[in-house]
Amino acid sequence: MKRLLLIAAGTLSGLGAVLSVTPPQLGAADLGLGTGPAIVPTTTPAPAPTKTATPPPVKSINGTFTGPVVNVSYGNVQVEITVSNGQITDARALQAPSGRNDRYTNFALPILKEQTLAAQSTNIQGASGASYTTYGWRKSLQGAIAKAGI
Amino acid sequence: MRTQHEIEVWGTILFLDITSQVDLKIAIEQVNQYVHHIDEVFSTYKENSVISQLRRNEITIEECSSEVIEVWNLCDHIKELTQGAFDPWAVVGGFDPSGLVKGWAADNCAEILQQAGAQHIQINAAGDLSLRGGFTPDKPWTIGVINPDNRLEILQTFEIQDGAIATSGTYERGAHISDPHTGMIAIGAKSATVLGPNGAIADALATALMVAGRDGAIWFTSKELSEYSAWVIDRHENVAWSIGPAAT
Repeated sequence: MKRLLLIAAGTLSGLGAVLSVTPPQLGAADLGLGTGPAIVPTTTPAPAPTKTATPPPVKSINGTFTGPVVNVSYGNVQVEITVSNGQITDARALQAPSGRNDRYTNFALPILKEQTLAAQSTNIQGASGASYTTYGWRKSLQGAIAKAGI
Repeated sequence: MRTQHEIEVWGTILFLDITSQVDLKIAIEQVNQYVHHIDEVFSTYKENSVISQLRRNEITIEECSSEVIEVWNLCDHIKELTQGAFDPWAVVGGFDPSGLVKGWAADNCAEILQQAGAQHIQINAAGDLSLRGGFTPDKPWTIGVINPDNRLEILQTFEIQDGAIATSGTYERGAHISDPHTGMIAIGAKSATVLGPNGAIADALATALMVAGRDGAIWFTSKELSEYSAWVIDRHENVAWSIGPAAT
C-alpha cells in the first residue's frame, strides 16, 4: 500500500494547487482525507469483526496457480497467484483487457492486487471507479485460490 | 462474522462486504432477489422492462409502480438541483434513469441488510458504494478513488461511516454520458466523485458533474446539498477541484 501511495502522490504533484497530497508516510489511521458527510456513529458496541482473508498459516502449499479466463465486456481477465506456505505472495494478471487506449490495459489491477495480497491489513476497503475488470479479477482469483486449495 | 458476496447483475457485479452477529442468509437472498427485480424493472437493455415500455410510450408514469414513480420524482428533483445537467428525459430513446438507479438501489440493499441486523455494510455496485456502520465499530470505511488516466493508482481516499460515494467517468464503459443541453458527449470532467448521505443523489450528481464540470460547484452551496462533497478531475487542465465538507 505504501508503494501504491508513493505512486499516487507522484502523480498528484502534477495536478495543481487545489489538490492536497496525502504524504505517503502516513499510516492507515491518517489516510482519511476529511471525515465524509453525515457521519453519525449509529452502531452499538460490538465485538471486533472476524477477518476472513487470513489463510491458515500451517498449510505447506507452494507454487503458482492460474485462475480461469473471465470474459469482461471488452476483453479477458486471467489471474495467476504465487503461493508460499499457504500464503498468497503474489497475484498478477496474465491477461487484462486492452481497449482503445493501452493506458487502461492494467485497469486497477494493482489496487486489487494490494487488496488480494494484504486483505488483512489493506488501507482501503473499497474502490470507486472500478468496474468490469474488478469483476473479472475477483472471478479469476477465486478460481486460482480454489485450485491452490488455500 | 465478516462475509463477502458477489451478485452478477446490472451488466456488472454487485459486491457485498458485511459484518454481522446475526445470520444474514435470508437477508442476502432478499438482496439477491431485489437487485434482479430492479434489473427487470429498470434495465434499458431489456425490451420488456417497465422502463423500456415507458421509453416507448407504451405506458405512462402514472401506470407504473411506486418504485418507478419514486425514481422518476428523484430524477425530476435532481434535474432541478443541477439546473438541467442531470436530465434523464433528454437521453436519446427516452427517459433513462440509469445515472441514478445504481446508487439508489445500492442504498436500498444496505437498508435491507441493516434492517436484518447487519452492523457493518459495504455495497459496491461497480463504483457506486453504499456504506453503513463503518468498517469496524471504531473505524469508518476507507474508500479509494481510482485514477481515470491510470487505473494502477488510487488518487484520493475518503472515510465514510454512513453514506454513499459514487464516481462517474468516461473510462468505465466508454463515453456513456451525454450532455442533455447539446446531445454531445459530456466534457465537463474526466472523473467526478460525489459523496453524501444518499446514494441516488450522489450517483446522479456525479453523472451531472461529468456534464457541467466546474459550473456544477454551485449546486453544492445549496442548503439541501450541504452534506454532499465533490472531488472532480478536470478534463483538460489536469487538475482536480473539490467542494463540500469532505473537500481536501
